[in-house]
Amino acid sequence: MFSKRAGLWLGLIATLGLLSLGSACGNKGGGEEGAGTGESGGAAYASKGDEGTISGTVAYTGTAPENPKIDTSADAQCASKSPNLTAETWTVKDGKLGNTFVYIQKGTLSDGKSITDYTFAAPATAVTLDQNGCHYRPHVMGVMAKQEINITNSDPTTHNIHFTPSKNQDWNQSQPNGAAPLKHTLNAAEVMVPVKCNQHPWMKAYIGVMKHPFFAVSAENGSFTITGVPPGKYTVVAWHEGATGPGTEKTAEVTVPAKGSATADFSFGASAGMQGQPSSLPMLAAIEFPMLHKQ
Amino acid sequence: MSKGVHRFALLVAVATFFLIIAGANVTSHDAGLAVPDWPLSFGKVFPQMVGNVFWEHGHRMIAATVGFLTIGLAIYLQIREPRRWVKRLGWFALGLVIVQGLLGGLTVKLLLPLWVSAAHATLAQLFFLTTVSIAVFTSRSWTDAEPKIFAGGNGVSVRTLCVASLGLILMQLVLGATLRHSATWNELLPTGLLVAHITGAVVVTIALGITAASVLLRHREEKFLTRPAIVALGLLFVQLMLGLAAYVTRAASPYGAQPLNPMIAVTVAHVACGALVFAATILLTLRVFRVLRVEPRQVGVLAPA
Repeated sequence: MFSKRAGLWLGLIATLGLLSLGSACGNKGGGEEGAGTGESGGAAYASKGDEGTISGTVAYTGTAPENPKIDTSADAQCASKSPNLTAETWTVKDGKLGNTFVYIQKGTLSDGKSITDYTFAAPATAVTLDQNGCHYRPHVMGVMAKQEINITNSDPTTHNIHFTPSKNQDWNQSQPNGAAPLKHTLNAAEVMVPVKCNQHPWMKAYIGVMKHPFFAVSAENGSFTITGVPPGKYTVVAWHEGATGPGTEKTAEVTVPAKGSATADFSFGASAGMQGQPSSLPMLAAIEFPMLHKQ
Repeated sequence: MSKGVHRFALLVAVATFFLIIAGANVTSHDAGLAVPDWPLSFGKVFPQMVGNVFWEHGHRMIAATVGFLTIGLAIYLQIREPRRWVKRLGWFALGLVIVQGLLGGLTVKLLLPLWVSAAHATLAQLFFLTTVSIAVFTSRSWTDAEPKIFAGGNGVSVRTLCVASLGLILMQLVLGATLRHSATWNELLPTGLLVAHITGAVVVTIALGITAASVLLRHREEKFLTRPAIVALGLLFVQLMLGLAAYVTRAASPYGAQPLNPMIAVTVAHVACGALVFAATILLTLRVFRVLRVEPRQVGVLAPA
């Protein structure tokens, strides 16, 4: 019934199985090596008093996807404090996109040196990341490498702050209600460091870590301003988290004149290639699963 | 043979199955680091079960229960079990559950590195294999079974087919565990691992299909063998359907604001059913080794020993 041929087949099956295992070398997929995050070195930058600004607007073309409602019933305190919580992926108002991290990726100053030839001191003041209403405030923020991050808990429940970077150290701490603020610093530049709460899995924030201070986060009306920029030619990047994955970036080239200003406008949205994020397998890219979303 | 030992062994195996379900829930809810300390939870034995702490601490509680049950089983076997090798298997199970507990602690302490998480999930299946085996060895059907001499002819023996299937299922479980732990709910699954797991499903289906067909065709009168073969086939079918559903719901998962119940339910069911396919194949393999004595040179049909 089962001849030697069956044995051959069995061997083939076993080999295929081994090959399956061998090919199982998943890559967690780190973010792109963004400049502005590259190694800087050399002399400390000294202001010459001729710095300018980069300002602009981040637009969203098309109809923005609706932020899904969040089910906070797993924690009665969250359900009570934020009964109508929604995701914060799309902060779109009048065609303008908020929560976009804008930063100088690379560039050359008017003295001919690259921006990475200079070092910039991290501010002594800490930036605050608050947990309030069972979501992070702000949702997107920027810090300089080695700048202190002050993490507070304004909720009547315990939170768990989990930084999941690819270039910095993983960091996971719990913070009960009423506990003292936690302090943390990120030493390596990275765009972006995702922050999550393992107790409340809908809680997400993103931190852009820079070697220099030339970054901003777009406001609700899509506007942003980067100040104190040395005169020069720069590549400016706008990062938005998008529907999933490591986020979407747009770039713009600007020239900042001495004591002047430059404009960098960005556009995200359906026409700018933000829909249809890559999926595990390409065939699923366009499939939507509305039945899986709680109303 | 003590009926009590068998019942207790069965209890441990069933508890282990529930522990696997609890562990799968931890992964699907992304609750692995909801409690940042170990072995205590927030410095307490029983913390407030809020949010994902429910899943993580619940898993720890069930794991502790299984740990104590395994200690009980190991001691019970020393007292009531006459066979030395079964007694040793009790100690082996205890050793496994201790290592498994330590691996669980490592996942927390090292912040869920892939290799530790995958090893933890794989060892869970090996521990389940051990507890199911002890339950089988202590059963009356095992001790009452009479070995048969089967003229195997030139074909691949059922024993070989069973062992191959078991090995392939274990490899597939390892692949599945690695796939699940390589991306959280809000990340896309790595395509290479996903394709490998799907290929593994095809390979296991062929291997287990051939094995079960071989048992059903060669030993159709032996219900002792055909029953687990039929159960394994049925579970395999359910598992394939669950796998398909898990793929669809999991692929959509990163687009949600939080882990959604359909994805959680289906992926947990897929893990649980995978363990059941494994258990059914373990039962089939052990029984095949128990009753079939292959003597290829003999001519004839199934004959009593």
